[in-house]
Amino acid sequence: MISLHHVGKTFGAGPGRHTALSDVSFTVDKGEFVVLHGPSGAGKTTLLRLLYRDEVPSEGDVQVAGIDVPELRRRRIPQLRRSIGIVFQDAKLLGGRTVFENIAFVLRVIGTPRKEITPRAFAALKAVGLSARAQAYPTQLSQGEAQRASLARAIAKSPLLLLADEPTGNLDEEMAGEILEVIRDIWQQGTTVLLATHQAALAASLRRRTLWLREGRLVKDEG
Amino acid sequence: MLSFLASEAARDLRRAGRVGLSAILLITLSLGALGCFWLLSLNLDQAVSQWRERVRVVAYLREEPRAAAVDDFVARVQALEGVQRVRFVSRAEALSVLKRSLGTQASVVDQLPRNPLPASIEVTPTPAAATPDGTRGLSQRLAALPEVDEVQGGAEWVESLAQWQRLFELTGLGVGAVLALAAILTVTTATTLVLHARRDEMEIMRLVGATEAVIRLPVLLQGMAQGLLGAAVALVALVAAHTVLAPRVEPLLTLTLGLQRAVFLSSPQMVLLLTGGALLGALGGLLAKGRAYA
Repeated sequence: MISLHHVGKTFGAGPGRHTALSDVSFTVDKGEFVVLHGPSGAGKTTLLRLLYRDEVPSEGDVQVAGIDVPELRRRRIPQLRRSIGIVFQDAKLLGGRTVFENIAFVLRVIGTPRKEITPRAFAALKAVGLSARAQAYPTQLSQGEAQRASLARAIAKSPLLLLADEPTGNLDEEMAGEILEVIRDIWQQGTTVLLATHQAALAASLRRRTLWLREGRLVKDEG
Repeated sequence: MLSFLASEAARDLRRAGRVGLSAILLITLSLGALGCFWLLSLNLDQAVSQWRERVRVVAYLREEPRAAAVDDFVARVQALEGVQRVRFVSRAEALSVLKRSLGTQASVVDQLPRNPLPASIEVTPTPAAATPDGTRGLSQRLAALPEVDEVQGGAEWVESLAQWQRLFELTGLGVGAVLALAAILTVTTATTLVLHARRDEMEIMRLVGATEAVIRLPVLLQGMAQGLLGAAVALVALVAAHTVLAPRVEPLLTLTLGLQRAVFLSSPQMVLLLTGGALLGALGGLLAKGRAYA
């Protein structure tokens, strides 16, 4: 599903040059649940952004679902992103729309047939246990609910790959546990999951294959 | 997808708020001003065409030719360059026309010891010759005829009317252009505000795999909608003004320009005005988009 080969990423030039990733290589098979662990600034977010082509690597190859991501033409990027669900630390819900509308909006902008939108949005809400809050606005949600809504939005388009960037970073332990349960359920439905976190205890509790990033380098691949 | 784009554009229009309303108002003003000058120009143009058809050059004769010689004389005049039609007016006919025009005072004519009016020919120039230069040339050719005493008439005043019409047209375009520029800038500002408000939405759209067309089209549609609304309001105002004012100014138009009625924009011209509004709005949207994406 994911293949990185000697990937490096630097930002800027001259004295301000910063190396975010250096010689990173690994593969993730289809259906795998992999944790990307490292402290803040280790390069986790940059690595995820390379996968959904928000950035291009300075060197090396990146492949997602057989697609050569850096070589992807600009107009083909939406096609790649439709196969990837993305969840961020801040839920990034749209303020003026209800939870249901946030999900329906995503389905509409990617051209989902109108009659499929409502059932798919409600199926996603059910999968994250948020059906009862469908008509609530983001300001009316707890942080855990907002993150669940964000997960529902990510899975509503049935992605092959779920990228979660610090999805529990803003949550207390109990809420974090609930979110991880939801992500585990999504993975068990067959979606490949790559979860980035700086929380060592959380990474350990998942007991999944873990990639350790330090200062942009992959220092350990265990599990 | 089309309904989605339209609903997003409507949402953006609401988001634009007062600035959006200002943009619509400015487009209304610019197209309203343009429409006013257009109407004036249209009516003057009609008067000019009408008067061009009525341009006559009258040549007064030294003596009235004998009845047998009239046809020959008319044929000679008809053969001159720039002549479309020739009508011979005898002294008796001229006197009878004078009597008719005097109405109740016609008896004054009967007091005259003899008919003082000369015979004449009324020459209608060809459309190509119905210009100041054309009628001047025609007058010279007529004056060169031995039978002709004096030549009167020409197209100078029709041309001066045509110049007024061109002046209205240019002024309208100038005023319209200045106001249109202001309208474009206001639409640009309104759209930039909308883009600022939409930045989270656009980020999400990009991340989930929306195409650039889906992301950008609502912005363009919103600008077009503002332009179309402004143009529609301007058109309604013009129709209302024409309905109210036309019956009041038509007698004056008939008296001064000979126009029976004040004409209004034709259907294609109205469509052009609406299209112009939509294009103005779209241009504002495009400029804002360029600014925001830059």
